[in-house]
This record gives sequence, C-alpha cells and structure tokens, in this order.
Amino acid sequence: MSIHVFQLFINGHSLNSVETVDTLLKICRENLNGNYQLEIIDIQKYPEKAEEAGIIAIPTLIRLEPTPVSRIIGALNVRSRVLAALGISSMLNKV
Amino acid sequence: MPSPLCVLLDTSDLRVFNCVVNTFRHHPASKYSANIYSPNRSRLPMNLLKLETGNASFDHISDGGLPLGRTTLVAGSSGSAKTLFGAQFLAMGIQLFNQPGVFVTFEEQVDDIRKNLKSFNWDIDTWEREGKWIFVDAAPKEENIIAIGDFDLSAFRIRLESAVQKCKAQRVVIDSIGSIFTQFHEEMHTIRRELIQVALTLSRLGATSIITAERLEEYGKITRFGVEEFLTDNVVILRNVLHNEKRRRTIEILKFRGSNHEKGENPFSINKENGIVIIPLSAMNLKHVSSNERVTSGIPKLDDMINGGFYKGSINLVSGAIGAGKTLLVANFINGIREKKERCLLMAFEESYEQLNRNAAGWGISFAQLEEEGLLKVICIYPEISSLEDHFINIQEVVESFKPDRIAIDSLSALSRTSTDKGFREFIIAFTSYLKHKEITGMFTSNTPLLAGGTSDTEGNISPITDTIILLRYVEMSGEMQRSIAVLKMRGSRHDSSIRKFSITDRGAEIGKHFEGISGILTGNPMLIKLE
Repeated sequence: MSIHVFQLFINGHSLNSVETVDTLLKICRENLNGNYQLEIIDIQKYPEKAEEAGIIAIPTLIRLEPTPVSRIIGALNVRSRVLAALGISSMLNKV
Repeated sequence: MPSPLCVLLDTSDLRVFNCVVNTFRHHPASKYSANIYSPNRSRLPMNLLKLETGNASFDHISDGGLPLGRTTLVAGSSGSAKTLFGAQFLAMGIQLFNQPGVFVTFEEQVDDIRKNLKSFNWDIDTWEREGKWIFVDAAPKEENIIAIGDFDLSAFRIRLESAVQKCKAQRVVIDSIGSIFTQFHEEMHTIRRELIQVALTLSRLGATSIITAERLEEYGKITRFGVEEFLTDNVVILRNVLHNEKRRRTIEILKFRGSNHEKGENPFSINKENGIVIIPLSAMNLKHVSSNERVTSGIPKLDDMINGGFYKGSINLVSGAIGAGKTLLVANFINGIREKKERCLLMAFEESYEQLNRNAAGWGISFAQLEEEGLLKVICIYPEISSLEDHFINIQEVVESFKPDRIAIDSLSALSRTSTDKGFREFIIAFTSYLKHKEITGMFTSNTPLLAGGTSDTEGNISPITDTIILLRYVEMSGEMQRSIAVLKMRGSRHDSSIRKFSITDRGAEIGKHFEGISGILTGNPMLIKLE
C-alpha cells in the first residue's frame, strides 16, 4: 500500500481549523493504518510557509502523495468526498 | 453584547454590515473607530486627505490623488488597463515618493506581470530586491482545488498583512478581486463575507489601496460580482469603448465620498514613457487670462481687417475649401513671429516638410531660415500614425520643451479623421484650453467640402470656442473663379465685415477691395445686384 503524505494549513484555534484537524486525524486513523505523514502548519506561527505555498484559504489540505498533487480547502465535512479526494478508496481497503 | 464577528459570519447583507461597523465604532476599545465605512461621512469637511499618486494627470482630475489610507475600487471591462492603473500607482509611489508598495495578484501570474510592466521602464526586479515592492501571489495554481466544507481567507489576510508590515507599505494594489470569485465559484457567499474582512484588514493597516474589479458592460452595473456593495466609498471606472471602429479609453471618478473631484468621463491614453495619461476636459476651466496685446497675422491688410492683429493667446480658425489659401495664411502667420521675435510650432498633418518649404518659398517666406534662427519648429506627421489622445500628448510634450508663443495646425480636418466626433470635440476643448492656459496664439485650418460656400463638421465642433473665424471662399463670377476673404467673427474686437477679394501672387497674399454689388457668396450662389 502506498504512503500518503499530507500538509494541512490551519489558522490557530479557529473553529474550522480545530474541526478539520479532528476530522482528518480520525479519517487517517480509521483508514490508513499508520501508513501516512501529516504535517500541520499554523499560519499564525509560520506566515512565511503560507506565502511559500501560496495558501489563500484556511483550512487548506495539500495532498502530496499519492500524486497528482491536489489541494482540498474547507472543513472536510463530507466524509465520502474527503476519502476520494485524499486518494483513499474504500475498494482498495478491501483488497 | 454579542461579538460582532459572529454577526458578520451570518450574512453578507450590507445593512447588517453597517450595523456591525457601528458596533465597532461605539465599542470603547475598538480599533475601528476611524473606520472608512462610517455612514456619517457627509458631516466631514470636503477636504479629506488625499495621497498624491504621482500620475500628474490623475492627481489633477481627482483634486489631489486617492483618498489617503482608504480603499478605492477601480472597475473596468477586460482590457481597460486596470492592472496598469494599479501598477502605476505603486511604481510612481516608489519612484517619486519612496513609498513602498504591495501588489496582490489574484489573476495574472507574477512572472507575466513582471514581464508586462518591463515595457514601462519600471525596474520592478530591483525594487523587489530592495524590498520596496512585494508581490503577494494569489493567482490560480495548476493544481486541482477541491472545496469540501466551510473555509475562510484568513491565510490570505495574514499574508497580506505580513507583506505590508515587512516593507512598511503605504500603497497596496489587489488585482483583481473578481478572479477570486471564479477561483472559488461555488462559494460566492463565503467569498463575499471574506472580502469584507479583507477590506477591514486594509483599512486597519492604513495603507492607501486600490482594488480592481471586472465589469461586463461599459455602461451598467459597476462590477460583475457586486463588490461595490462593500467597497462603496471610492469608485473609479475605466472604460474602453468601441465606437465607429475606433477604441476610446476613458476614466471616470464615480465617487470619492467626502471629497471634490472632476465629474464625468475623461479620455486617456497609454504610452511607454508615462503609462496612463489622462486628458482633463474641464480641468483647466475658463480661468485663463485674456490679453489685450495684439500680434500680427503676417499680412498687414488682414491686420487692418481685424483691427490691429490677433489677440495674444487667442484661438483663430481659418476655414476654406481646397486651394483657397489656408496654408498661405498659416505661412504668413508663422512669418509674423519675426515682428516680436516670437517662437512658433507648426504641426502639419497634410503636407510633407519639403512640400511646405517649397510652397512657402514660392510666397517669399523661408521656413528653413526661421528654423535656423531657432524661431520655428516644423513637425510633419500623418494623423493616422497614432490616436488623437496620443497626438495631444505629443504636442504637449513638444510645447513644454520648445515653449512656442504661437502654434499653427494645418489642418484640423485631417486630424479629425483619427477619432470619433465626440473624441474630437473633447480633444478640441482640451487642446484649446491648454493653449489658452499657456497663452499661446493658435491658428487652425479646416477644410470645407464644397468649393464655394458651406461649412464642415470640423467647424461645427470648433467654432464656438474659437476667438476669430476667417472664411476663405471661392466666388464664381462671370466664368471665373475668384477668391474671397471675410472675417466672420472676432471676439472682443471690432472687425471688417466686408467680403474682400483675395489673391495669391508671387509676393504672397493680397487682399483687395470688397465685392461690391454681389450677394450670396457665402451660400455659394453669388448674384450681381444692380445698384441704383
């Protein structure tokens, strides 16, 4: 099974940020079996990283692996769509 | 009291927004007490502080520049020079006032902007290295963006703020705000709510800023996505209208709340040296001085007809059919500079330099010698090589460097070919008021389409603002074409009212007796009247 690499940009303890971190951790725990890397970047502390990555919206999740690289913005509250967007297919899990 | 931010999250309705702002304003610890969204602006004095943009022509029509520390919405259709307007605002700030600036791009890629602006000789690379110009890149990326759930633009606000603080920016440009709606097209409400936050951030930072926005029609709703609902205090509209196969660019300051500015559209042009150059129409108004001093027309008999010569600083029109002697009058007008050692600029739009020289020599006038003495400058160009606005700017530049006392334009009719009627009328108004402002005596020629009698459209536009009109008309008498000259009007002076014989000889112009016993010359149907 391929490794999943994510970057999540959040803004301190804003409602959306807290909710997204929780949701994402839960999804990863339940579906990826520890086989993932997740970097959480707080733009309050590291605004230069937001600049580098050209982040506009909060929260932004960047999927680095599996390719293609894609960006998911928003609080990730539609579970099935999030799974698809992260490249976690339920069909793959069964195999 | 509920937290005002919570109220904001619920809606993008303007009324609620104003309430929120009011809450801010009355909150004792509020940082927003001097917020630009104050609805009580009308109580402020009309001399609100302005920031000189550095674009002289814009500062002129805006009565001093952009409102200081506030946000101005610059709206325009695609290709209306919004980006240039913003970039010039930053570039001039750095060049002239050493005020650093931040350029936010939502639309074009940063590299493209750098490249496009190079042609204006603005050294953005160096400014970036010196930390005077910072790009905030919010342009769309190649990567796929998927929106799932609620989000905000706080990352953008934080980046904007840190860029402004980093270079201590006094000027900010956001170009263009409509693109963010297209980037996040499914989330209109979120974007509107977030843009209000961006506007608040800008006003808190205290930088003078420009936000550009698209519009779909030249005359209609201010912006495509209705951002004027929350960026409502200061609005500038750029237009690029196609009319009769010609493009005409104009700028209009729709409102600067609490401040004076020119009303209505002013044409503008874009050139490499100066970027956007606006031609103010009403700006110079009718305050110019009227001189009583007379200057010679170069023909003593004509001077007699107009009671001693043209007024200095007056605008004089010579109207006539082809070959009626207009260029001859111009040549004499130019030669007239000898009397008081004046300087003259001749803009020839019909004939080449050699042709002009040869013809003038035929009438005993040497342009070459006048030029050698440094009294005359002749510029021969085809009117079609550039737009009327550009001609105006070019003439202004020559006038500023050569400092002539007189200017001759041969002919206005040729120049009028390059523009729409409206554009030409505006040009004439702006140009004559410019000349009067500079106290330059002008002679313009205009062609009439008919050999005898008649007037032209050009004259219809120009005659109300000229001081003197001289008519050169053919008179068909007993199978012979004769020329005539008459002074139709002369402001502030007596003048000869008779229609006189006019002939062109080796010695130049000769003005003879008046046509006795003939009527109908001006209508083109001369008739002999038997005198009792």
